[in-house]
Amino acid sequence: MKLNYAKAGLILFLMVFGFLLAPIPSHAAVDTSSYIVENLKADDIPDDDGSGLVLSWKPLPKEKRIIEYRIYRGVTSDSLFYHGKVDVNVKTGVAGDVMYYYDSGYNRFVDLQSPGKLKKEKQQPDDSPLFGRLPRDLEVTGPQLTNYRILGVIPEKDFLYKNTKVEITEDEDTKVYAGLKLRHFLYLLKKLRAEKEYYYTVIAVTESRKYMPHAEPIIGIPIDNSPEKIRQLFSVYVEDKSRMQFEWIRSLFTADQTNHSLYLVKKNNLDEFNNYVEEQKQAEIDPEFETSLENPAQLIYQRYCGYPYTPDNTVAVDIIDGKIINDKRDINVEVGNIEDYFAVFSLQDRAGYETFSSLSTFDIVNSSTLPTISDWNVKDRKNDKGDYNAIYWEKPTVFLTNCTYLNDDKTKILVNYDIYKNVKYDKIKNVYFNISDESGKEITTINEFYQDSKLKITLEKPSNRISFEMRVVANGDTGEDQIYTQDLIFSEDVKSLQPGILYLNGEEVNKYTYSIYKNNYSNEEWRLSKNTIGAQRGIVDNVSYRSITYKGVSKFDAEKGLFLVTPTFQVRMDDELENQIMTNLYAEEAAKSIDTYNEEIANYTASKDTLETEAELANADDAIEFYQAQIDLTESNPILQKAATFKSYKARIKFLEKVKTIAGRSFKYKMVKTDGKAHFALSEVYYTEEVGKLPFDESARETFTTLGMDHFYPLPNWFQADKLPALIATFIFGFMVFFMIRKAKSGKELYIRPIAGIDEIDNAIGRATEMGKPILFVPGLSGISDVATLAGLSILGRVAKKAAEYDTKILVPVRDYIVLPIAQEVVKEAHYEAGRPDSHDKNSVFFITTAQFAFVAGVNGIMIREKTATNFYMGMFFAESLIMTETGSTTGAIQIAGTDAVTQIPFFITTCDYTLIGEELYAASAYLAREPLQLGTLKAVDYTKFIILAFVIIGTIFSTVHATFLINAFPTK
Amino acid sequence: MKRQIPLIIIITMGFMFVAHSFIPHKVSADFFDWFQDWVKAVSPFAVSLGIMSLFMVHGTKIKRKVPNWQYSVITLSGLIFTALAGFIWGTHVGTPYMWLFENVQMPMSATMFALLAFYIASAAYKAFRARSAEATVLLIAAVIVMLGQVPLGAMISKWIPEASTWILNVPNLAAKRAIMIGVGLGITATSLKILLGIERTYLGGGD
Repeated sequence: MKLNYAKAGLILFLMVFGFLLAPIPSHAAVDTSSYIVENLKADDIPDDDGSGLVLSWKPLPKEKRIIEYRIYRGVTSDSLFYHGKVDVNVKTGVAGDVMYYYDSGYNRFVDLQSPGKLKKEKQQPDDSPLFGRLPRDLEVTGPQLTNYRILGVIPEKDFLYKNTKVEITEDEDTKVYAGLKLRHFLYLLKKLRAEKEYYYTVIAVTESRKYMPHAEPIIGIPIDNSPEKIRQLFSVYVEDKSRMQFEWIRSLFTADQTNHSLYLVKKNNLDEFNNYVEEQKQAEIDPEFETSLENPAQLIYQRYCGYPYTPDNTVAVDIIDGKIINDKRDINVEVGNIEDYFAVFSLQDRAGYETFSSLSTFDIVNSSTLPTISDWNVKDRKNDKGDYNAIYWEKPTVFLTNCTYLNDDKTKILVNYDIYKNVKYDKIKNVYFNISDESGKEITTINEFYQDSKLKITLEKPSNRISFEMRVVANGDTGEDQIYTQDLIFSEDVKSLQPGILYLNGEEVNKYTYSIYKNNYSNEEWRLSKNTIGAQRGIVDNVSYRSITYKGVSKFDAEKGLFLVTPTFQVRMDDELENQIMTNLYAEEAAKSIDTYNEEIANYTASKDTLETEAELANADDAIEFYQAQIDLTESNPILQKAATFKSYKARIKFLEKVKTIAGRSFKYKMVKTDGKAHFALSEVYYTEEVGKLPFDESARETFTTLGMDHFYPLPNWFQADKLPALIATFIFGFMVFFMIRKAKSGKELYIRPIAGIDEIDNAIGRATEMGKPILFVPGLSGISDVATLAGLSILGRVAKKAAEYDTKILVPVRDYIVLPIAQEVVKEAHYEAGRPDSHDKNSVFFITTAQFAFVAGVNGIMIREKTATNFYMGMFFAESLIMTETGSTTGAIQIAGTDAVTQIPFFITTCDYTLIGEELYAASAYLAREPLQLGTLKAVDYTKFIILAFVIIGTIFSTVHATFLINAFPTK
Repeated sequence: MKRQIPLIIIITMGFMFVAHSFIPHKVSADFFDWFQDWVKAVSPFAVSLGIMSLFMVHGTKIKRKVPNWQYSVITLSGLIFTALAGFIWGTHVGTPYMWLFENVQMPMSATMFALLAFYIASAAYKAFRARSAEATVLLIAAVIVMLGQVPLGAMISKWIPEASTWILNVPNLAAKRAIMIGVGLGITATSLKILLGIERTYLGGGD
């Protein structure tokens, strides 16, 4: 269609008018009161730490075309800030009668993406209490800090080095804080405060982004509840070892848990215990309720557990001479006949609430029925940046994974298998399969010297059960004694043979799972690293470099634009894992800390005269003990003493940071092999006498005495050893390039095999010149990081130079805006080189769009309108290739394509006159240049291909005679 | 200097990235992350180059009233209108910007993509004309592979799906891998040429 002013104007008018018309039906005047959500409620979330409320409301009908519900929250009904939203599918609406929104846990408070200033919410009346998101403006956001529990997540380096010391005097008491700008926080998160009133409202937003009126604000009060009851406790008594073993299913909500406790309840005390539990529940519901009963259960074990780690869920308690003794927890219990007891587990939270599990009866067993843990090791994983420790055990496992019939007679089957290796046995040499049928008759034996995870087996007749005996031979001593057996059994459900249970020397391999726990110098709690199935033979444990400091934020300095946090921080725990070694960012404040601790002791000692309950007195004693320990640590700890010797802030913090890093990244490990029901074997903490290298000077061992023996710090590696073949190949190739360039420079004629597509480039340009039509050159659709694009641009330079010499117009549409200026420069320089700067049109290289098919439409339009005589497609292409080249073909242009996209080559071959296949694209530039440097490189590529081909042939021959050393010499990926 | 400074930067950075691929150390990993951050920060600025190019090319066409200049008016109007829609009303679902995306760009892209089916048919016709021995082999192989992918093939003969799989897994895969090896070497050679400053055309000019 030929466009003129009138037609173009009409199309534009229709576009704009049609566009404006589209939203009109949804913007038509509506009764907005019918869009106010109803039945809005805010209820407490049970079993939490008092930080959760669940909002519910009746969703509006589908006909209202609601696209989202926006939730606003505040501590007064006249100022509600945008908090979050629930998206709704406009077409389907909401399926149920009630919508829920959970306001629980930590969520976004304010960050760099927050608006600068507070804004009223859109499309609301002037007196509306609704505001947008809390802004970065501290005048507005600062006062909100006290309404929530705010957690600052700070990159450790920012906390240590980018803080500003701020002193605040309140009631003649001057306190020092570390001030940080908003940009120094990774996140500032907020959580609701227990027992505080929060106001909520919800508005509906329609499909046309119309914000409807809000519902009447409602009040919600989060309540701190006792922890969630665990689902099940398993108890086992190992008679010959006088050991009690416990395992439980972890609770889902762990945010404020502090202690795991285990009790023994005498069966004749059951009623008293139940009464005690009931009374505790009553006290939780009614704070005024006074408890009178004492817990009749005997505490036999207690340990700290804390968020955010996944805690150990197994415990073994030894009874020695009829007693359980634990001085650290003041436990001294006499245990009689184990059959007279129930076991009970409890979770305690920070508020002091305790939730007991259901009672569990002991399963009395002998240790011979429990699993055993054979040799296992911990080692720094090689070839990494120092962020993984490898934990591995036993020898490789082979097992069947699937089976499919290959013919209708069901006499040919394809069996898939897999192997679990570990860092010790990482090269599998052979896997032997002895296969027999139901009657025990041998079907075949297979030696998988090259493991492709597939076995093709021919049966004499269809079988419902096929037995496999499997043995793995790997590097090292894998032994003859590791015989795995597994059957393929016909399954009626899938009408096929399916792998059955895997056995190792007659024992079920997957009956038990392995749990690896780890613990560093900074925390007394064992945390789960990984759980694996029984067939697995190793894991890698991530030891992240990323170091984060978590700090509560409750104060701010609006003038300086600072959020304030306490300047104290933990360096590590002491060797007994009893006390945290704490210090202060500021040396002068650290020096004052002993005075502060003494003051605290004096305050708590004085307060004891007024305290009434035993619990309060015990708390005061604990606090005194804590501060006394801190005084002792501060006065005697070598780390703090050495830190005190530094004069400059940076040197002192650098030293403390190093100590923190060692403490945080050095882990010890233990392993549990369990059936999930307390029948477990528990390893000792892994220990070795072979002390490995340290990434620090040996002085680190003065304060970390067991580093390298039971605590493992992963080291970064300077060379990735498994890439050695690649490095050697690179050097050989590099050497060949130099050698061939030298040869070419010496004037020796190098034979280059002719490539038709390249030979025709000159003719194609000549054709365009003769016809007086332009040349089209598409340098692929990839970005500049794709080497194919660079090769395309190199060819563009040669083609553009020729075109300039012939004074032929060249058009270069570009899809990537980074490629654009480079392509422009290439064409411009080509014209200058050809001595025809006058013929250069700066608009001949132009951007169309980044959208793939819109770009194709643009290019096709150019071909049709400009009637290009020659089309070049050089670079990376995708699904659009055929659309372009077919269009070019119909316009009668001569077309030359070159790509390394294997999937597009057939399309180019079919529709173009000449195609450069794969590496020919990369060779084209050298062919056209005919320079010794370029030709030398080309020749080197050819010789390298010859070497690769030689390896392929030799490798094939060796593999055929079961010699796999050549295959194993190369990395798999 | 105009070409030497970029060349020095390219060669230095190029060798550093070669070293990075063999050095897993944290220092190397941090350097790579740092570089990635810079790429993320710098690349958006190139968008303005693309937009400027569009305005220059189409602006010139409109100014000079070249044939079909009216299309340029529509192109620039579309660009301005879409950008304004995004800036004024945002890019959420339900905004004019998204309306344009869902009702203009998506259907148009889908239309272009749908054309591919017809182009494949016409390309297949060209490719499968049995005018020579090679083309006849191609035709037979294509028929077997196509029949092997549909139930009809298995109904005709149980060997057709197997033959189809064999063609795809053996001769086809062998050829593909040969091309891939060549491509790998070509990429390495081109990268090496760039690293050593032998190939400079992409900088604008060959020398």
